[in-house]
Amino acid sequence: MTKHIPVHIQFSQINKRYAKKHFGFFTDNKTSKVILKDADLELKGGECILLTGKNGSGKSTLLRILAGLLKPDSATINTGLETLSWKKANKLIRQQVMYLYQEPYMFDGSVTRNLEYALGGTERGKQSPNKIKQALKWANLEHRASTSAKCLSGGERQRVALAQAWLKQPSVLLLDEPTANMDEESRRATEDLLCKFKDIGTALLIASHDVNHFHHTMDKRLLLKGGLIMEIYDEGVDKNKDDEKSSHDNISIFPSKKQLKSNI
Amino acid sequence: MESLTTTIIEAIALLFSGDAELWNIIGISFRISTTAIFIAMIPAVLIGFTLAYADFPGRRLLISFFNTLLAVPAVVVGLTLYIVLSRQGPLGEWKLLFTQSAMVLGQIALSFPILVAMSHTAFQSADIRAWDTARTLSRNPLHALLIIMREVRFGLLGALLAGYGRIIAEVGASMMLGGNILNSTRNIPTAIAMETSKGDFSQGIALGIILVSMAFVLTMSLQYMQGKGRLTHD
Ligand SMILES: Nc1ncnc2c1ncn2[C@@H]1O[C@H](COP(=O)(O)OP(=O)(O)OP(=O)(O)O)[C@@H](O)[C@H]1O
Ligand SMILES: [Mg+2]
Repeated sequence: MTKHIPVHIQFSQINKRYAKKHFGFFTDNKTSKVILKDADLELKGGECILLTGKNGSGKSTLLRILAGLLKPDSATINTGLETLSWKKANKLIRQQVMYLYQEPYMFDGSVTRNLEYALGGTERGKQSPNKIKQALKWANLEHRASTSAKCLSGGERQRVALAQAWLKQPSVLLLDEPTANMDEESRRATEDLLCKFKDIGTALLIASHDVNHFHHTMDKRLLLKGGLIMEIYDEGVDKNKDDEKSSHDNISIFPSKKQLKSNI
Repeated sequence: MESLTTTIIEAIALLFSGDAELWNIIGISFRISTTAIFIAMIPAVLIGFTLAYADFPGRRLLISFFNTLLAVPAVVVGLTLYIVLSRQGPLGEWKLLFTQSAMVLGQIALSFPILVAMSHTAFQSADIRAWDTARTLSRNPLHALLIIMREVRFGLLGALLAGYGRIIAEVGASMMLGGNILNSTRNIPTAIAMETSKGDFSQGIALGIILVSMAFVLTMSLQYMQGKGRLTHD
């Protein structure tokens, strides 16, 4: 693995609501559901953030916006060089950011083919069979290299997705419940891999309910609640089973000016 | 009229005798339709792709528009192009009327809506995660497009075959725009129409056999490939 030039991307005032659209033009305000309200987030190379939140709090939505896959209602992105709108930054973001689905999608074809897709045109040269072999080895799927990827189990799919990330080596990696379907051994292998990603300067953001699993890897813990992102400071992570309640007193919220105004 | 069996035997004999005129007609038909489908294919698939995945106002309206075009009869398409290409028409100076190019244009216009509508359906039938996964996995949009096109390849192939099927056997527009000129614009359907009106059935039946066997081979090969694909579906 080669080291990245560490990125530093600042997303601010991310707003997103899901709403029905009439004829594709008019948003229906009655049925709209606010998911993100001026949420701010910072991604730094070599830092691992754990994003927690209840089911339906909008973790996947946030991750897909950060990956440039879902259009927010508004968002500004500071890349360190310039401040851009989500739309303008989109192309740049998509080159650097990779998003792993909660339930990874496997393309029609063998596991090997699915891994090949993660290699860019320039890399699909002589080394690629070797690289893919290594990726298969990591995923512990060497014996299934030529089986159809659509037939894999949930945990196996997640391992293939992580192997794809290893092949692509993006500077920002967003993981949506990466170990949800994994057994103990795969989970440990995944944590090791995430540590390696950190070492080469990848910015990591993991969405998960399970606070305990990424204990060793994470540097920072965020909570998504009511459309806001809050940072949680806690020492004994293991003790806090119910994250929303027990860690309530150590939550610090950074409201934006706009929110302060609306609160008053 | 001779008995049907003797006519059919005559038709088969004609096919195997290597009758130059007959095979010339078949060649013209396939050349024109293949050219048309190849020209229409790339823009139509790209439009189908855009309609499936891009989010812009009026997208649904555009989808309805292409679906409406599907229902426009071939003669109307032929008539419209006839007016455009006729000597007094806007493109009259190109002198394309009654040439193979005019027939190619007509067949492009005929196959385009089918290709757009069916490739849109093909792209849309893919899992909602498929396009996003392709985008986040690949390094450039073109690679992502190729990945997703491979994923829905059977649907796209189906679109091509349906488009081809519509234009290879179509009489109205070919007759109006080509004029049924021997060795130039006489293709299978216009030849069948003419021979039949003359009461000479054997050539018509011979050409009909070609069309039907082509349809059979195309459908079978599509089904075979889809069957192969279905094994791996989840
Ligand atoms: N395309 C959509 N259209 C309308 N509503 C949606 C859409 N996608 C998600 N939602 C809603 O937005 C909310 C947030 O969804 P999201 O998937 O981001 O939650 P999550 O935090 O990832 O949940 P989980 O922990 O279960 O993965 C949910 O209430 C969901 O019903
Ligand atoms: Mg989720």
